Amino acid sequence: MACVDLLKHEFFVDMTCEGCSNAVTRVLHRLGGVQFDIDLPNKKVCIDSEHNVDTLLETLKKTGKNASYLGEKSAQ
Amino acid sequence: AKSIVVGVEGMTCNSCVQTIEQHVGKMNGIHNIKVSLEDKNAVIIYDSKLQTPATLQEAIYDMGFEATLAD
Ligand SMILES: [Cu+2]
Ligand SMILES: [Cu+2]
Repeated sequence: MACVDLLKHEFFVDMTCEGCSNAVTRVLHRLGGVQFDIDLPNKKVCIDSEHNVDTLLETLKKTGKNASYLGEKSAQ
Repeated sequence: AKSIVVGVEGMTCNSCVQTIEQHVGKMNGIHNIKVSLEDKNAVIIYDSKLQTPATLQEAIYDMGFEATLAD
């Protein structure tokens, strides 16, 4: 349960090191309009955003890593 | 074919190196790419009809690294 409250979309991103998670951080920052949380050990990124899932997935894939949408994670 | 050196900041290990080599290596007009973790750069040999220094810099930047062209 790495995703904190309010973070909605959960993605798998094949990150292996801090360089990877930093790259993910940069591409998401550059996209803008996102709040996110990266769980490097579990290779998960949780995103709360005004952008749709397709845009977010495209952005994550820009890093050149495998990425897929895991689903919605409801805030509790 | 032309050759260029792009400075790359933000790589921490060999998998970062491989990610860039594979991703940029797949682009059109790339003959060869060698990324160095120690030197923090990428040496790219490319077809100048298909790529420019700016498009190569942008490709690495887009992946989430800081990319700079030496001048
Ligand atoms: Cu990495
Ligand atoms: Cu790395």
